[in-house]
Amino acid sequence: MNRATDQPEPNPLREGLAARPVPQPCSVVIFGATGDLTHRKLVPALYNLAADGELPPSVVIVGFARRPKSDDEFRGDLEASTRKFSRQDVRDEIWKTFAQSIFYNQGNFDDEAGYKALAKRLDEIDKSHGTRGNRLFYLAAGPEQFEPILKHLKAAGLNDACKGSWARVIIEKPFGTDLASARELNRVVRNSFREEQTYRIDHFLGKETAQNILVLRFANAIFAPLWNTHYIDHVQITAAETLGVGTRAGYYETAGALRDMVQNHLLQLLCLIAMEPPTDLSADSIRDEKVKVVRSLRRLSRSEIAVDAVRGQYTKGAIDGEPVIGYRQEQNVNPDSQTETFVALRLFIDNWRWADVPIYVRVGKRLPKSATEISIHFKKAPAVLFNKDLHDLNVLVIRIQPDEGISLRIHAKVPGTSFRIEPVKMDFHYGTSFGKPSPEAYERLLLDAMSGDATLFARSDEVEQAWAFVDAIEEAWHARKDVPELCFYPAGSWGPEQADDLLARDGRAWRRL
Amino acid sequence: VEEIVKCNMPALTETYSLGNLVKVGNIDQELKKLWHDGEAVMTRASLMNLAVYSEKPGSLQSNTQLMAKITQNHACRAIVIEADCNAEEDSVSAWISAHCHVTSAESRQVCSEQISFLLKGGCTTQLPSIVLSHLDSDLPLYLWWQEEFHEPMDPQLWAWVDRVIYDSKNWKDFRTQMRLVESAQQEAKQRIVLCDLNWTRLDSIRFALAQFFDHPASHHRLANISKLRIDFAPGFRSTALLFAGWLGAQLSWRTEQAKSSHELRFVGTSGRHINVELRERDGHPVHQIALTSGDVEFCVAYAKCGDLLEVSRGKADEKRTPQLMPARKDDPVSLMSEELMRGGPHRVYLHAFECVLDLL
Repeated sequence: MNRATDQPEPNPLREGLAARPVPQPCSVVIFGATGDLTHRKLVPALYNLAADGELPPSVVIVGFARRPKSDDEFRGDLEASTRKFSRQDVRDEIWKTFAQSIFYNQGNFDDEAGYKALAKRLDEIDKSHGTRGNRLFYLAAGPEQFEPILKHLKAAGLNDACKGSWARVIIEKPFGTDLASARELNRVVRNSFREEQTYRIDHFLGKETAQNILVLRFANAIFAPLWNTHYIDHVQITAAETLGVGTRAGYYETAGALRDMVQNHLLQLLCLIAMEPPTDLSADSIRDEKVKVVRSLRRLSRSEIAVDAVRGQYTKGAIDGEPVIGYRQEQNVNPDSQTETFVALRLFIDNWRWADVPIYVRVGKRLPKSATEISIHFKKAPAVLFNKDLHDLNVLVIRIQPDEGISLRIHAKVPGTSFRIEPVKMDFHYGTSFGKPSPEAYERLLLDAMSGDATLFARSDEVEQAWAFVDAIEEAWHARKDVPELCFYPAGSWGPEQADDLLARDGRAWRRL
Repeated sequence: VEEIVKCNMPALTETYSLGNLVKVGNIDQELKKLWHDGEAVMTRASLMNLAVYSEKPGSLQSNTQLMAKITQNHACRAIVIEADCNAEEDSVSAWISAHCHVTSAESRQVCSEQISFLLKGGCTTQLPSIVLSHLDSDLPLYLWWQEEFHEPMDPQLWAWVDRVIYDSKNWKDFRTQMRLVESAQQEAKQRIVLCDLNWTRLDSIRFALAQFFDHPASHHRLANISKLRIDFAPGFRSTALLFAGWLGAQLSWRTEQAKSSHELRFVGTSGRHINVELRERDGHPVHQIALTSGDVEFCVAYAKCGDLLEVSRGKADEKRTPQLMPARKDDPVSLMSEELMRGGPHRVYLHAFECVLDLL
């Protein structure tokens, strides 16, 4: 991906050593430093980058949270969690030097004093650790805390850097709960940080296979002529998980699957599949094309939502042979909850390339297996010669997780004297072909933010357009009258029957995962 | 990743042996049979043809051991060749085997196949036909040439090679060797990428030094370098010189007449002299670098544990806090894995080589 405009002149000694923008020395300030995300993902990701030599030595981590804690206590907590959650074993000697660059700043998110102390400490760190005034603020706190944090960062003068340095902010999802709140959040962010300083993280985009979609489409000439309404019958995107709501009921009850998954992750994948080739690989060129896809999504009317959008909720059932309770029986869930744990949609992109190609999207909890896959179903060959009785289409499958890879289903003659034809699968597995394991999504994304590469982060207009699309469905589902029914499905099934009907009406069926 | 031993398939069991002796004309059928026997439990994977050529007696076995490890991370069709060019009679013997590993992430057994050849007699005439007739189709050909290059460089072979991998560490005549490599490149219409493992072994140390100068505020330090000290192990003088050549080429230095074999001198763009001291000490191939610019010294050195680098910068009288960065091991498997991991032409290498060619 290309360098951001604020990227400095290249270091001549880096030529040939790195095929990506080089991360700059900086202080990474994590708000919500005692939380789950910091312990499970962020610090293990930073440790892995350090252990792989991807992190410049002058990177310092400063935790900011309410609880009183010394630097050493904080380091001890992070060491324990990193040992537990890191993808590679923690080496004592590496941890020792890594830990020397970890600090803790106690403060309340809405208390000015904490930010003044933080500013002072960051200045000291710049001098002692060579972080050169570069600051990366990571908002790993709850969304309700974003506004006070951003406001105080500005008040403390931390939102802007001196000449030659930079200040950036990473914002974790959810980016609002609807269009109005997303706009409000964007306004709040813009009050403190400019758009080019803002990195909205969607960890799906950090996954190797998500990035590979662009390579598959634009580095392989064979797909380009086929990638349109003339050759594609339909597209399916599935994000299935076996897990239930777990400990996230508090959040999930107010969000549901549509806001939690479709508005961000699934629409991002859809954009990568459907976008036009960008003029170059710069962050804005790619995001310009992505946002055009969301803008071209056909807005569903109330009557269409009743037909083309299915919402479901899991009831008791079994996962992997073990009985599990229904959603309404989960802890902290309203026994009469109307929250959807499953969504299936039939979408259309009203542009030249995708006219009349239905895109079926489904996402759900407590489904039989965990898998995120995109499948491109090509049109049938003319019904002459061998194709009179063939029902299977050529299908290109992009597996995002787990078992990342790509497969292509084609037809082949079964050996023998008769002309029997069967579908066969050509299969590419990342794990089989490339021995080296992929880095965690957070590793890639943190490195990109330190390097000033915003390609894999969502821009404000992308987020707002996605909410505009989703809001129409949410409004229909929460209207006072003529509300489409909430369908139920037993845990361990592939969702409610109505989701199958969505495709059956068009003479199609969901792929068997 | 774990090496798998399957008891019911002799050719697949002994991954360090050459496997089944087969007739050269039957290799394709025998390979098919091999996969047919193991089809239910194995996935064959291949991203490249990796041909390994050596004239060292016993190299078939030692290279088979290397391939067993290299294929853990680089699925390929390995074509391992030992040539005895002085044998009186011409003969070719062939074996087939497979290296199977269980991937940790997927618990899948992934196998790379190996064809081994023992060539006797007219090696140069046999080699192209042996390699070309046993390539896995549509995949690039990487040739790991473990000997010094010698005439004639058969155009029939070199025109097919995508990457040639060699180790210039022990070259006796760099100019002649480079001329031969370049003639091979011409045969391939410049398509061949030159991969010198002597250059690869500098990767981590170059990376560690380069990161000091990532920030534009530190770029002026590059223009003020006055002294460079390189500590290298016996037998690795050429590696140390390549390192100096890298700095020279990237910073537009030109060489001056060497003061002695251990003292070199470059002239920077502003006319400033840069003195280079080469110190031969036991240890890693290049185990310490100290670069002085103004009153600041930038230091990269191997840590005691051996697979980490300590990097530090500071003034002479300052207490330094070294940071740790990963270092590469110097064994052939690590070097090859590193080399196979990256792509693209090594322009920087060629510039570095050119910069110090007269000193090598």
